[in-house]
Amino acid sequence: MAVLVDKNTKVIVQGITGTQASFHTPRAIQYGTKIVAGVVPNKKDNMHLGIPLFNTVKEAKQKTGATASMVFVPAQFAKAAISEAIDADLELVVAITSGIPVSDMLEIRQKLKNSKTILIGPNTPGIITPQEAYMGTYPDNIHKSGDIGIISRSSTLTYEVVLEINKAGFGESTVVGLGDDLIIGTGYTEIIKKFNEDKKTKAIVLIGGSQGSHEIEAAIAYRKIAKAKPIIALMIDKPLSFSENDSLASEILCGGVTSTAEKKQLLKESGITVVDSLSDLIHELSKL
Amino acid sequence: MNIYEYQAKGIFKKFGVNVPSGLIAYTPMEAQNVAQKLSPEGPWIVKAQVRAGGRNIGKFMDKRAGKKGGIRLSKTPEEVYNNAEEMIENRLITAQTSNRGMLVSRVYIEEYIKTFQKFYFSLVVNGATASVMLLLAPVTPNGDDDIVEMATHMPSQILKIDLGFEKSIHAEALSRIADFMQFHGKKSQLKSFINKLLDIFYNYDATKLEINPIGIDKNDTLWALDAKIIFDDNALYRHPDILRLRPMAEIEEREVVVAKFGFDYKELNTGIGIITNGNGVALNIITEAQKCDADIACSLNIKGGVDRDKIAASIKLIMTNPSVDGIFIDIVGGFTRCNLVADGIIAVANDLGLNIPIVVRFEGTNKDEAVNILNASQLPIQIADSTYSGIMLAKAAIAEDL
Repeated sequence: MAVLVDKNTKVIVQGITGTQASFHTPRAIQYGTKIVAGVVPNKKDNMHLGIPLFNTVKEAKQKTGATASMVFVPAQFAKAAISEAIDADLELVVAITSGIPVSDMLEIRQKLKNSKTILIGPNTPGIITPQEAYMGTYPDNIHKSGDIGIISRSSTLTYEVVLEINKAGFGESTVVGLGDDLIIGTGYTEIIKKFNEDKKTKAIVLIGGSQGSHEIEAAIAYRKIAKAKPIIALMIDKPLSFSENDSLASEILCGGVTSTAEKKQLLKESGITVVDSLSDLIHELSKL
Repeated sequence: MNIYEYQAKGIFKKFGVNVPSGLIAYTPMEAQNVAQKLSPEGPWIVKAQVRAGGRNIGKFMDKRAGKKGGIRLSKTPEEVYNNAEEMIENRLITAQTSNRGMLVSRVYIEEYIKTFQKFYFSLVVNGATASVMLLLAPVTPNGDDDIVEMATHMPSQILKIDLGFEKSIHAEALSRIADFMQFHGKKSQLKSFINKLLDIFYNYDATKLEINPIGIDKNDTLWALDAKIIFDDNALYRHPDILRLRPMAEIEEREVVVAKFGFDYKELNTGIGIITNGNGVALNIITEAQKCDADIACSLNIKGGVDRDKIAASIKLIMTNPSVDGIFIDIVGGFTRCNLVADGIIAVANDLGLNIPIVVRFEGTNKDEAVNILNASQLPIQIADSTYSGIMLAKAAIAEDL
């Protein structure tokens, strides 16, 4: 069992001929990911890295039975690529691309309202189910299979958490990177629900983000989940100088609550264990 | 990206938003001259131009400017001259700048408009709901209200309207705004004022458009007395006219490099300069450093997609900060390939030489290759196997070096 991605998930790579995709795709295949097609508009060749190429996502889906796509398309063209994948009714789209304009993501979120597609990202390392498959740019040498589900807004901090929990003898069922942009496709709540239904996952680690109020939404939703699995949230405090920026001011203006202290309080009130360092995280995991 | 108030007002004017007439001045003499050109009688407002808010309640670093802030009413041309002289080439410290403040290279001289009511206004992108919010709040005449403070402690004082993805204001929202402001003028004026601001917001891919304050004069005319636009850095390629307004040489060199490479750079204290490839890691290092009693001078997040040039630029940049006594490069590579980082470090070392201690930690993609590259280079770079040991090594190296 796994969440969102396993060794049987048939995956398309959009923008497969680019430098980054050309580097990360063979690594993912070697890891076990079933990459069945590449999509390049106005393609010149029929194959790249030994994978068949198609002009459109729709065609790739029809010919290969793919249900998911990894988007490596440069930021300027990412809106069109993600929209195409949503229009083709793929179940899952993982957008690796960073630097997509905010207004483009506003449009994509509008589009997602009338669709069943789950969009993870953008600006995410993706999803990895250790020893099975991954969609994204995960370091392939640090993960270990186990029963901890990880959901995170930060990519680099996730790698740190994985290194630490593996050192302590644990492993991961699936790791889901939500992405660290102002507007992301999917928040914590949806993934918490999926981990809760996943037989392999025994506990969830939630890693807080540097912006946004997604943790608050998750805290409130968690209260309503019947037989919820334990969650430990890693919320690292921002030093003051990290807070003096406009995006934080905007969040406070929009939401009313977003200081890390207030987020922590809300998470605790929902029965979620809150820690603020990696060592405390391991300590709490060991108690479960 | 953020631009100066006078540049934002230029855009407002182009879109037909009502702003006071004003002119820019780079010297006190110029300030006095343009004031008289604007109006023979005055009074005028002298406004320090920095790319940060909170100017009115800010303080200047050099004491010659007295205790007053960066926005000053001036009744005579001499007063304009004196205020400009106190501000230009001085550093203005506000709640939104570091404790070193920002250099004032120019002042904006404006005709004074007497208004009777003032409101904070902004359009912001709400990330969680993926929609645009309109925010409005009454402010006191002296304008020293901190809107964030207000949102935190008296949220009911702020009118918040979720505009979704609508590109013009609808009738119901307009009525709520008019009632909230107790606006007696024509609704068509209010509607067109807001719609023009929405036009600017969407046309320029802004993530925030802020006016603090909007003033209402005795004829019920609306004035944008201030203007601030924050542009989405990722959409600047669509707006070459805005790109041209990016910080240039007169701003500190570090800011130029930060803008060019899209780094996230924060100055903190004196001690270790950190280079990382993610915000999460940066925050973790700072937490660890506190535990180890190590001081952090600054933190530079190079973000993803690191190549040799980016890492080289980041090390060069951090070396120009006089508060940095040693560097700790902590890279956890996923997308980022550690070997490219190692190449960049060696390029700088060969280029500039290493005059301060450098500690490096690699984890993740191509880690072994990167460690081999550094070892083979025989440069005096220490390699750490964890964030904790990296901080301890850097701390010890600095102590030895000083």
